[in-house]
Amino acid sequence: MLVSPSQPSLQGTMRTPLRLCILWSAGLLILATTRVAAQNPPLYTKWINYTKASGFPAGEVFCVTVDGNRVWAGTEHGLVLLENGRVKKVLTPADGIAGRAVMSVAVDKRTGDVWVGTFGGLSRYSAGQFKNYTNLSSGLANDLVYGVAVQGKYVWVATAAGVSRLNTDTGDWSIFNEQNAPFNEPWSYAFAVSQKKVYVGLWGGGVLVYDIAHHYWRPYTDPDGSMEIVLYRNQGLIHDIVSGIAYNPETKMFWASTYFGLSGYDGRNWHNYLTKDSGLASNFINAVKSRGNDVWACTDKGLSYLDYKTNIWVTYRPDNWRDLDSARLEKNGRGEIVITKPDGKKSKVETPTSLAHNYILNMDFQGKDIWVATAQGLSHGISQPQKEEQLYESARNRR
Amino acid sequence: MKMRSKTRDLKVNRGGTLPSCMPLFALLLVTGFGLHRSLGVASTGPDQSSEGGSPRYLSPVALKLSPHGKRLYVVCEDSDLVLAVDTYTHRVIGRVKVGHKPEGIVVSPDGRTLYVSNEWSGTVSEIDTDSFQVRRTLQAGWGPVGITTGRTGKMLYVVNTLGNNVSLIDLSTGQEVKRLDAGHFPEYVALSRDGKRVYVSNLLARVERYDQPPVSQLTVIDTRRQVVTQRIAVPGVIQLRHITEVPARAGGYLLIPFLRPKNLNPLIQLQQGWYLTHGMAVIRPSGSSREGQQKFQVMEVLLDDIDHYYADGFGAASTPDGRWALVTASGANIVSIIDTAKLNRLLRRVPPEEPEALADRLDSARQFVVRRLRTGRNPTGVVVSPDGRSAYIANRMDDTVSVVDMNQLKIASTIDLGGPKGISAARFGAQLFFDASYCYEGQLACATCHPHGGFEDGLVWSLETPQLGRDVVENRTLLGIAGTSPFKWNGMNPNLATQDGPRAARYIFRSEGFNSMEVKDLETFIRSLRLPPNPHVTPNGHLTGGQARGRAIFFRTTTNAGSLIPPQERCYYCHAPLTHYTSRVQMNVGTAAQYDNIKKFDVPQLEGVYMRAPYLHNGKALTLEEIWTKFNPKDQHGITSDMNKVQLNDLIEFLKTL
Repeated sequence: MLVSPSQPSLQGTMRTPLRLCILWSAGLLILATTRVAAQNPPLYTKWINYTKASGFPAGEVFCVTVDGNRVWAGTEHGLVLLENGRVKKVLTPADGIAGRAVMSVAVDKRTGDVWVGTFGGLSRYSAGQFKNYTNLSSGLANDLVYGVAVQGKYVWVATAAGVSRLNTDTGDWSIFNEQNAPFNEPWSYAFAVSQKKVYVGLWGGGVLVYDIAHHYWRPYTDPDGSMEIVLYRNQGLIHDIVSGIAYNPETKMFWASTYFGLSGYDGRNWHNYLTKDSGLASNFINAVKSRGNDVWACTDKGLSYLDYKTNIWVTYRPDNWRDLDSARLEKNGRGEIVITKPDGKKSKVETPTSLAHNYILNMDFQGKDIWVATAQGLSHGISQPQKEEQLYESARNRR
Repeated sequence: MKMRSKTRDLKVNRGGTLPSCMPLFALLLVTGFGLHRSLGVASTGPDQSSEGGSPRYLSPVALKLSPHGKRLYVVCEDSDLVLAVDTYTHRVIGRVKVGHKPEGIVVSPDGRTLYVSNEWSGTVSEIDTDSFQVRRTLQAGWGPVGITTGRTGKMLYVVNTLGNNVSLIDLSTGQEVKRLDAGHFPEYVALSRDGKRVYVSNLLARVERYDQPPVSQLTVIDTRRQVVTQRIAVPGVIQLRHITEVPARAGGYLLIPFLRPKNLNPLIQLQQGWYLTHGMAVIRPSGSSREGQQKFQVMEVLLDDIDHYYADGFGAASTPDGRWALVTASGANIVSIIDTAKLNRLLRRVPPEEPEALADRLDSARQFVVRRLRTGRNPTGVVVSPDGRSAYIANRMDDTVSVVDMNQLKIASTIDLGGPKGISAARFGAQLFFDASYCYEGQLACATCHPHGGFEDGLVWSLETPQLGRDVVENRTLLGIAGTSPFKWNGMNPNLATQDGPRAARYIFRSEGFNSMEVKDLETFIRSLRLPPNPHVTPNGHLTGGQARGRAIFFRTTTNAGSLIPPQERCYYCHAPLTHYTSRVQMNVGTAAQYDNIKKFDVPQLEGVYMRAPYLHNGKALTLEEIWTKFNPKDQHGITSDMNKVQLNDLIEFLKTL
């Protein structure tokens, strides 16, 4: 089906009149009857995907950042702005952005400026215009920018040669690397910011936490070194190759996604998760987000959700996710939700729409909705509380 | 101390007298029955205090009227004073000391408070208009100049010239809540008539490619969201100054004085005229975008005539009914009065697809300028009374205020603010500095290319060479240049007397120039110019960690590998600290361009280098970093190729402290 560039494709729903095939296992039934509705994990059954047909540039969507009703998506071929569900702008180097591949986006809530990490340097998008910071023209450590975050008047920039920090009031730059901080590896990937600390995920260097008031760094690395095994489950960070990091102000925990599992740290204990002992879709995780009791892991085999309190897992992915043939994926459009109970029992829900791809790179929240960056487009998961309640109610009635 | 009498043609009423139309009985009423009162606590006598043996001139630069127009508040930049003038008696009724180098002023919407920006203190003085005393001092950013409140008076917008941003200060707490980037060297500000927007104009153009015409910027801040919503490009011009918004019924546009230079053409063309033109940007709403955002159309019109120029537009104001707009020409001692209806008629003839159609037309002004009134020396700020009957113009160089009768469109009187009566050599030199009458057709004054009290205009110029594109050099600051001779990038001028005398006459002004006495006084003034306090220096004067490491790099004698750096290739060899970080010689550092006639250039002093972008003799390095990352490939400009990025950052942090 041809879709006009401004019209996102609502895969499945146009062809399937809200057909929901639900294969209830005993596990889901028990889940539904033992939890009140408010505590049920969210079940996103309605997805809208933004692909080339919707006006997106071809290629991967590396990151997504929600700013009110605006959604910024960093792609392999530029920065995309969606407003109210429509592609409003696609910004490329021809528009002034520092690089084609956009790896990260952070919005300064105070000024409204949008900071963009690209593989050609750092860009500030303000009032419709770009201002670029590169290794040659500024104090930026390196032009390969993976992550960016705003903390007060500072802009933190994760680069392939360490962490740079720009003081937007003075224009002064600081560089943190192995020369002045406990970096095992300067290749930095991602940030999370709390009121007092800045958390940095390092590719091969674990997690570094910067104390803003006292100006010191604290490293967290894998006690097993670079071994890809875990000797003791919760002994420390699960692996040094950290791809993403999140701080949850409600639980005061930080979460680190690695290419070998998921780690959470509550200030005293580590909480690690692998596919072999949890509902995590894959140990290869590109990013992590957390709010409330929710933890979201962006893996190469789908988007996994963890209810940290109950240890219930939910994974979203296209139902033909093992088939990487994009043509077939587009034709199908259906998805599956796999729910894993604390005892390991799994149940599955088929959905008429699904994520654009199972290779998940990033995600963000928009109220109860979620936005997911995938290898083949951006996906909008729309919260339908009544629908979810119907599913759980149906499960209780079946019992 | 040498003092001169005022021998030049200063034909103003210096008596501080009442307006001639004021009947005697009114005077009796005012003085005898106490309707007028002096502000109790503050001193009202003239300030003859001196600084370092020199008289302390007032130098009024900014004005504001109280809501009912009964009081005129005058900001005096050289005396750190704010004066209150009774607009009926024309007498100074109060004065209050504020911070160092006050530049901007705004009156709170209720009229009870003044806010004055102190550029060199980095603060804002909050003044109670009843007691005329400073109530509190608020911290702003670097070099605050322009200042305004929002419509409710709860938020203060302070334009930080050296910080390139705007501080938003919550007046309930007195604390800055955020800073918004406002382009390169922003100075002036205005609140829109509907209170929805704050406009910020930039003195200097964007730092972009040196071989392209300049582009200036008007920054638009949404007062509800408190974010920058637009950065409007104003092409081909620099030195956007004060902003006035003509009422909607008279056009609803912004008028902003500007300078439109042809700096990429050889300066020799000045003798044909049309080289430096002076006009105003007309920026008007042109509908809304699909997202509901206000769009603006930018047009440019000149205020010059074909055979005479009105240099250095500065202040701008419009009458409440929008019939008249006033723009001061600070280098010509003129205020131009514009009939906005005639201007509208002219603007309507501009094709929408050619908004710059009038930008170079010297035959435009005669169609809408209805009067050229001679003011005092160096007219700067201008305001119009709420009833529209009078306008007031601050004359910086003779400490007076010109009063314009807006009914008759003539200068009605001049208010003497009470500055020192004698003229020191430096003061006379300052008067010359701002005076464009020495230039052929009045095209420029010294201050034209050295705005902001002797700074630089951020442009590159093709000076003496008659060929297009040859020997293009960046303008250099006059601040803090005492002891840094020789001058010019080629180092050919051994002293200021040569620079300001025969050279200025022959190559710049294309006129007979200054006589020897005038040159001497001008030199005295230029030598007195100081750099502003450096915001990169910590309050206790100690270097930060990065600055200290950078200092060590500046003075290093070995490379990272331990090799000895030859003395002539060390930073401090050419940039000698004892002589203002210049060895005062010409050096070849490998920066000559294809069309430069010379390879060796004068070593510039480094003091204040943080504020002097762009860099190198032709301005091709847009940032300090680019001096070494792009334009030092063979280590001729110091050995830097062994340095890592952290070291280069540290070096730059140190240089910024100089």
